[in-house]
Amino acid sequence: MTFHAPHIDYAGLSPVIALTAGICAVLVGGVFSARRQRLVVSVLSLTTVAVAAGLCIWQWGEREDLVAGALRLDELGLAGALIAILAAAVVIPLSWREPAAERPGSEPRHGEFQALLLSSVLGMVLLAQAQNLVVLFVSLELLSVPLYVLCGSAVRRTQSLESGLKYLIVGSLGSATLLYGLAFIYGGSGSTDFTTIRDAVGSGLTDDPLVLIGIALAATGLAFKISIAPFHQWTPDVYEGAPTPVTAFMAVATKAAAFCVFVRFFEVALGPAVDNWQPALAVLAAVSIVVGNIGALGQSSLKRLLGYSGVAQAGYMLVGIVCASALGVNALVFYLAAYTLMNLAAFAVIVVRERESGYGDGIKAFEGLGRDRPDLAWPLTIAMLALAGLPATAGFMGKLYLIEAAVDADYTWLGVAIAIGTMISLAYYLRVVAAVWMRPAAEPLAPEGAGMPAMAGGSPEADPLPSLAAATAAPRPGTRCLAILVPAWLMAGATIFFGVLPSPLVDWASHAGGALTPFLA
Amino acid sequence: MIQVMLWMPVAVGLLCFAAPRRAVPILAVAGSAAVLGLAIAVVAGFDTAEPGLQQTVNESWIPDLGVRYQLGVDGISLFLLSLTAVLWTAATVFSALRTPERRRIYFFMLGLGETAALGAFLAQDLLLFVLFFDLMLVPFWFLIGAFGGENRIAATTKMIVYTLVGSLLMLVAAIATAILASDQVGHLSFSLADLSAHTVSTSSQYWIFCFFAAAFLIKMPAVLVHGWLPDAYKAAPLPVLVLLSGVLSKVGAYGFLRVALPLFPQAVVHFQELILVIGVGGILYGSIMAFTQTNVRLIAGYSSIAQLGFITIGIFSLRPDGADGAVLQMVNHGLVVGAIFLVVALLWERTGTEDLVRLGGMAFRAPVLAALFLIVTLATLAMPGSANFIGEFYILIGVFQSKIVYSFVAAIGVVLAAFYAIRLFQRSMHNRKPDGIASSELSLRDVAVLAPLVACIVGLALYPGLILGRSDAAVKDKIAATCPRLPAGKPQPGWTGYAPIPVPDRCSSGHPEISVIK
Amino acid sequence: MDVTWYVVLSAVLFAIGAGGVLIRRSPLVILLCLELMLNAGNLALVAFSRAHGNEEGQVFALIVMVVAACEVVVGLGLIVAMFRRRLPLNVDEMRGLRG
Repeated sequence: MTFHAPHIDYAGLSPVIALTAGICAVLVGGVFSARRQRLVVSVLSLTTVAVAAGLCIWQWGEREDLVAGALRLDELGLAGALIAILAAAVVIPLSWREPAAERPGSEPRHGEFQALLLSSVLGMVLLAQAQNLVVLFVSLELLSVPLYVLCGSAVRRTQSLESGLKYLIVGSLGSATLLYGLAFIYGGSGSTDFTTIRDAVGSGLTDDPLVLIGIALAATGLAFKISIAPFHQWTPDVYEGAPTPVTAFMAVATKAAAFCVFVRFFEVALGPAVDNWQPALAVLAAVSIVVGNIGALGQSSLKRLLGYSGVAQAGYMLVGIVCASALGVNALVFYLAAYTLMNLAAFAVIVVRERESGYGDGIKAFEGLGRDRPDLAWPLTIAMLALAGLPATAGFMGKLYLIEAAVDADYTWLGVAIAIGTMISLAYYLRVVAAVWMRPAAEPLAPEGAGMPAMAGGSPEADPLPSLAAATAAPRPGTRCLAILVPAWLMAGATIFFGVLPSPLVDWASHAGGALTPFLA
Repeated sequence: MIQVMLWMPVAVGLLCFAAPRRAVPILAVAGSAAVLGLAIAVVAGFDTAEPGLQQTVNESWIPDLGVRYQLGVDGISLFLLSLTAVLWTAATVFSALRTPERRRIYFFMLGLGETAALGAFLAQDLLLFVLFFDLMLVPFWFLIGAFGGENRIAATTKMIVYTLVGSLLMLVAAIATAILASDQVGHLSFSLADLSAHTVSTSSQYWIFCFFAAAFLIKMPAVLVHGWLPDAYKAAPLPVLVLLSGVLSKVGAYGFLRVALPLFPQAVVHFQELILVIGVGGILYGSIMAFTQTNVRLIAGYSSIAQLGFITIGIFSLRPDGADGAVLQMVNHGLVVGAIFLVVALLWERTGTEDLVRLGGMAFRAPVLAALFLIVTLATLAMPGSANFIGEFYILIGVFQSKIVYSFVAAIGVVLAAFYAIRLFQRSMHNRKPDGIASSELSLRDVAVLAPLVACIVGLALYPGLILGRSDAAVKDKIAATCPRLPAGKPQPGWTGYAPIPVPDRCSSGHPEISVIK
Repeated sequence: MDVTWYVVLSAVLFAIGAGGVLIRRSPLVILLCLELMLNAGNLALVAFSRAHGNEEGQVFALIVMVVAACEVVVGLGLIVAMFRRRLPLNVDEMRGLRG
């Protein structure tokens, strides 16, 4: 009897393999002590990320099924993977200070922190390529579970724990709903493979009650993950409570990967049932745009504001899926990339600013920034203007692309909804920019002794050693955190660059979207 | 050349960040002067006989979305470009003489604004036009919000929200136009030439036109949607206000001529009456409000509403003479209102107030200032002999031919203009000098800013054919799109066809235009 | 016996779980209810797998069990951390984040 090993395409799997190896290496790097650990671990994780990105670019253009059809190697999946990897590459330097030891003498936790971050990236890479219900579910969990831990990782702060638990409960609720939906889709079609499901649904199951229930539940579950209203209530709370670098990662990378699988699942597996889900998703998108933008209006914490704005932006992006056309998918990928750039720039500035001002991430902390710290003010301004969709930024091009896709797919009213949402959103984005440039600096709070939190929402009575915490976490104002400033400027620069010369990004997005063209009418 | 002209201001603005602090104003002035030079060169090189576009640039920009980088100059945009360059130079020099703090951002934003304004006038691609149209807001929002007066943040946010409500809907409308027309064009194209050759169906035109009209009317601003005007005008720094009132308001009117008329001819004819009512309403409302205000800025602001009402009805008379007059009037009004705001700035520096009640008696010690201001005032009230008179006259002739009732109502506006303009001049320059107001003559440097503007006003009064002769062909071309609905063959009463006004006539008699109407 | 009964049972379980997540206050009980929801999914998967006569659903169910275990571990970890900080273990009293 001869043994036939299954064919495994190691080249196609190489980004996944590289990330897995990197996670192990980073965990081992955790054995180093205090100072050295930070350096070693950061270098290891940055290398991992760089190698994975390189391998993704190397595989760009390949289209094949991997691991017996469980994964699909194509440009769409690689695009999602690249966005997640980019987000991680920015977040790693952002979080250099984050997992500081609780008190002198205790173990530093850089190793765990970065390993968890990388496992989440691994989940995203798999999710973006998933072509099977099982892989979809497992990689979604692989993405989420490390994030639950990361959200709660600042054990010192009550709010961090609270946000971790909240995210865990809501996230698991979403996963369970998704799983139940997937079970019904499996029950209706008898397969867990996307293409087989497509064939089954296409051959007369479009109105099958099992499949319809499954679609509804699965859409709900995924809507929890990408925070589409009305399943968004957790978003601002978790964004505010989690450590800011984690928030940045969550806001950007989770959305990218989840949208990639959303579009693949709906356009490929459920493509034949498009008439059933299209109107429902259209309504969800519109509700999300309205709820997110209105919710953001009254916020005073910048992280919460970005949380609500993320809800609205998810609504815009959902329009790309609703269109169910090649143009829509391209627009979605383009917007995801633009959204990544502008959000990362904004969060990088928040990370720096909340450390050096006494106001945490409140908008007050950013008053007078234009005068004091123009190096921080510009990236934030560009990010806000881009999120608001003003011209000469990638945000404008993204909205243009989405509106064009919506109008082209006879969803002109959704295009108008995007325009109206953008108008509402100006009120709060511009409030931030106005605070940066047009108001005098707020009275600085004494970082120590005054009992004010040095970090977002830290509560003084819960801080065991407030003065120590302030001393370690708050460098003197004016300190140049190059590791953070450089990514912030890069992201902001790219936002402007792709706003003025969008062609490279447009081409990239249409390559990625082209992967689904055979499945789109 | 137009490319250099377009991108120079923002490039200079960026250079300001690299330049040493003291060199920043000089650099900015040099940049704006260079743009002015280029604008003059474009005017000089303009071929009068050619009705179409000149100096065109046509590059691929975002092929997947059908957006092209298309620029060009024709008779309509030619002088609006010059106006932009002139006023921007004036505002830049005026600010440079008073170097504001945070000068780098100030001059960068001025440069960005100039690029956006020039871009809107140059763009020959619908989406590029929308992009520049929206982009204009950002620098002005900054300039008002960061350098303005009392209550500036609320005022500037109000302004940007108002204007973006219009222009975002315009974005949707522009995309819808291109997609609806793509069946006929054969591919997705935002090129104005393609879109005007293949207009979309009449029913789609109606709603699309409404979106465009909303954007343009808000930008002008027309009456009903002028809510942002008083606050923004009160808060804006005066050099910025020169540009806001002189150039930005023209972009809306220009949009009607450039976009709405050729692309949505049926809708334009359908909504003609509505827009005329808004225009005439603007004339009456603006004139009356200007008469009741005591704040000098608001007088000029409301008079802008009235003037833009004139421009609107001129365009929507859908007659070549009316539209010719509108183009001339756009340039006139830009120059006049720019000069007024500079005078207001000078008054404020001398007296510390912008309230007519507390002003007065400036003319005793400042005869040159008073003389320059008198010329501007007379131009504002469209004194016969001024280019404004010719502009309003043409507009009224155009409206008279198409909708006679409106021209009578609009003529009242001419009378009202005399009231508020003379009141403005008298109260500020004559009357008794209140206590505590220093009246001093212009410094030579301020004369250098104000005198050229006044010289432009006088020059246009002497030779309006400079504009009319060049704009006529292009205007006829735009109006022609709406012509099929005009009663063909019906002789137009008392009108023998258009001819540029000969210069010698202008100087010899008080009413040379009458001679044109045989 | 028809597969419908199994599906109905799983739906009942799912509803009980979802109701519990929404109503109960103790994070421990909420975790329990989440487990219930996941297991409702498992039951449906196994039932459908049997009905279709292929094994994909069974494999899926096994994997879901692993995932569920991971979630519980993290959830319990967080709850223990909160307990050690003497924070109230009641989701209604987690009001640090709102607005």
